[in-house]
Amino acid sequence: MNTIAIVLVVALVLFTIALSIFSRRFTRTTADFYLAGRKVGSFSNASAISGDYLSAASFLGVAAAVYASGLDGVWYAAGFAGGFMVVVLFIASALRRFGEYTVADFAFGRFGSSRIRLVTVVATLLVSLFYMAPQMYGAGTTWKILVGTGFFPAGADGLFLGVDPIYLSGVTVVTLIMMFYVAMGGMKGTTLNQIFQFWWLWFAMFMVVVFAFGNGFDYAAELKQVSQDKLVATKTMTVGELTTVDATSGKAPIDNARATMSPEAFAKVEEAVAAGDQAAKVDVLLAQKNKLHEMRDMLFNEPGHRYNAFDQFSMVLALVLGTAGLPHILNRYYTNPSGAAARRSTFWVLIFIGTFYILSPIAGLAGRTRVFDAYMNGTAPSNAAIVDGFLVKSDAIMPTLAQILGGQWLMGIVAAGAFAAMFSTVGGLLIAAASAVGHDVYEKYINPDASEKQRVAVGKVSVVFFAILGWVLGWAIPFFGLQNAYPALIAMMVTWAFAVGASAFVPMLLTGIWWKGTTERGAIAGMVVGLIASIGIIFMNILQQLRIPAFAADQGTIGFLASLTFPVLFTFPLALGTIVLVSKLDGKVPENIDEIWMRIHGTASERHERDLGLDKVGTLFGGAKK
Amino acid sequence: MSEGVKVKTGASGKYLQFGDHIDTLETVDTVFHEQRKLSFTYGAVFFGVTLAIPALSVWVPAWYATPIWGGFTANYFVVSLAYFVFLWAMAWTYSKQADKLDERLMHIAEEIEQKIMAEEGGAS
Repeated sequence: MNTIAIVLVVALVLFTIALSIFSRRFTRTTADFYLAGRKVGSFSNASAISGDYLSAASFLGVAAAVYASGLDGVWYAAGFAGGFMVVVLFIASALRRFGEYTVADFAFGRFGSSRIRLVTVVATLLVSLFYMAPQMYGAGTTWKILVGTGFFPAGADGLFLGVDPIYLSGVTVVTLIMMFYVAMGGMKGTTLNQIFQFWWLWFAMFMVVVFAFGNGFDYAAELKQVSQDKLVATKTMTVGELTTVDATSGKAPIDNARATMSPEAFAKVEEAVAAGDQAAKVDVLLAQKNKLHEMRDMLFNEPGHRYNAFDQFSMVLALVLGTAGLPHILNRYYTNPSGAAARRSTFWVLIFIGTFYILSPIAGLAGRTRVFDAYMNGTAPSNAAIVDGFLVKSDAIMPTLAQILGGQWLMGIVAAGAFAAMFSTVGGLLIAAASAVGHDVYEKYINPDASEKQRVAVGKVSVVFFAILGWVLGWAIPFFGLQNAYPALIAMMVTWAFAVGASAFVPMLLTGIWWKGTTERGAIAGMVVGLIASIGIIFMNILQQLRIPAFAADQGTIGFLASLTFPVLFTFPLALGTIVLVSKLDGKVPENIDEIWMRIHGTASERHERDLGLDKVGTLFGGAKK
Repeated sequence: MSEGVKVKTGASGKYLQFGDHIDTLETVDTVFHEQRKLSFTYGAVFFGVTLAIPALSVWVPAWYATPIWGGFTANYFVVSLAYFVFLWAMAWTYSKQADKLDERLMHIAEEIEQKIMAEEGGAS
């Protein structure tokens, strides 16, 4: 147990709760609870959006992807940042001009039917849950590394409810904290917390890089150093898998390990093989293949470790289009005081997360050399599993590097940063899910005459409900063994959320904003097709990875679809094409389309607000500045 | 429909009124076409550059396999550093141009608005 790290995490939690209690007095109306009273300025909103956006996958996962894969891992950083260009160019100001509270409100206002509002609510909930699942899994695994102890009793099999009790303790603690602080503080409390949490995790990443440069890090020289030899990576395999000979090459993975590992390290592998237990697991170091240019050696500074030619394009599209399909990010644009402020917010977001994403690959590269050197010097942290100088779990690179460079204090700052990343993202997701149920369903259909007090109360109950649902997802992932199917599960699940958002929402938003001929039936058809196709392919991919026989084959249509890691290259044009086709066939644009068009693209509202001074940035706790 | 907004029909057709300001189809169409031109021009540049990077990674060895500075290939340098500068420059210039466009269109809208108000006043 790392005492300093725990003290810093507890301090972060207490500060978070204090901010929520402080902001509670300012959460009286529905607009306060869901939109922070539309008084969030560009800088504050940009900080909060950045906090909302940078999840555990960004804080721990990007550096880990670079550490493990080199250039293909760097693409996560560039793609995550690039997504905001789509938002600023095509969506931000129109969404804000249209007003309202949520993406479902936009769909209802643009197409004028309750049917599309409900479809959008369902899509919002599905995307939010897809995004929440990896955050909860990250919470449990980080808790296990950091705290290493729990409060659930272990059964005879060492498990509680079929999963690791320490892991489940972490999931439970994070659920309770999130439930409390979001329900208590609403959007204002969440916004304040996200601003603080973003700057904390930015500071943590900055400090790791500063310590790396202080330790003699030279970006160009170390990139050259790690790119001189073939890229190697660790893998946990059973003895059976390790010794199975591939029919095509006539070689087994153990041959690769023998050629790659040091004699001392390989001796332990041989011992395990000699013991004869085919199910026994061993950690090996393997030279990696180049999936893009098969005739070339795989080097750290070249593309091809993760993605073949198809996936190079599909992954980029998934990342840049997916950001515009995340409801918890889009909802944030309604908190801007004007369309111009929405654009300025996005510019600042690009500055904030851009600098963060420039730092992350530096940390990943520095980890590659520093962990190896520490291992060779015998100074590597004892709690990090290492094979021949390389981490067995690349997701542990940030805390391990921090410990090597700055000892317990830097490790503590990074650990608190990891929890800050999870809190800020889950906070945004809970608000988005709660507004989908509380605002889009309860206020519109169940009790339209509800008082402000009742509406806020329903929002809070929704937060509690979705926090519990998040806990169930956190429990279900290890219960069903999903982490065994995907070595880098957190990053993969986040990409799934991007894929679903990009397929379900982005085509509807783009056509709804920019094509007057989009009809309600077209929009619904496109959303449903995008939603079903993306979720269907993702589940087929999961079933293929779990080796379910019907999906295990790599050939044929099902085998091909199931093998798609990033379905967006198919599902986005499919959904977009469906909207265009059905709208053309249908031809029934809303009767009041001219009024709707004037609301989306008109400027009278902003001119009116400018006259009243409402376009000025206010404070989160009062009216506009005088 | 937002609070405070009124849908009216006058001599010049249907319009939306927010306080003392109105939007007509004419003003909105002007805004829409200019905004669409700006957004889609920037969008074409953005997607062109973004998708050119993987294209070069697939087909141009000099791009992905030739070191230009220490261990940096052009590919690594662009994805890890230069791409962010490109994004910042695009977002900055776009925001500035969109703000200017907004201002220009607001003036045009106000001129049309005054004309309509005068016509409405004359009609009543």
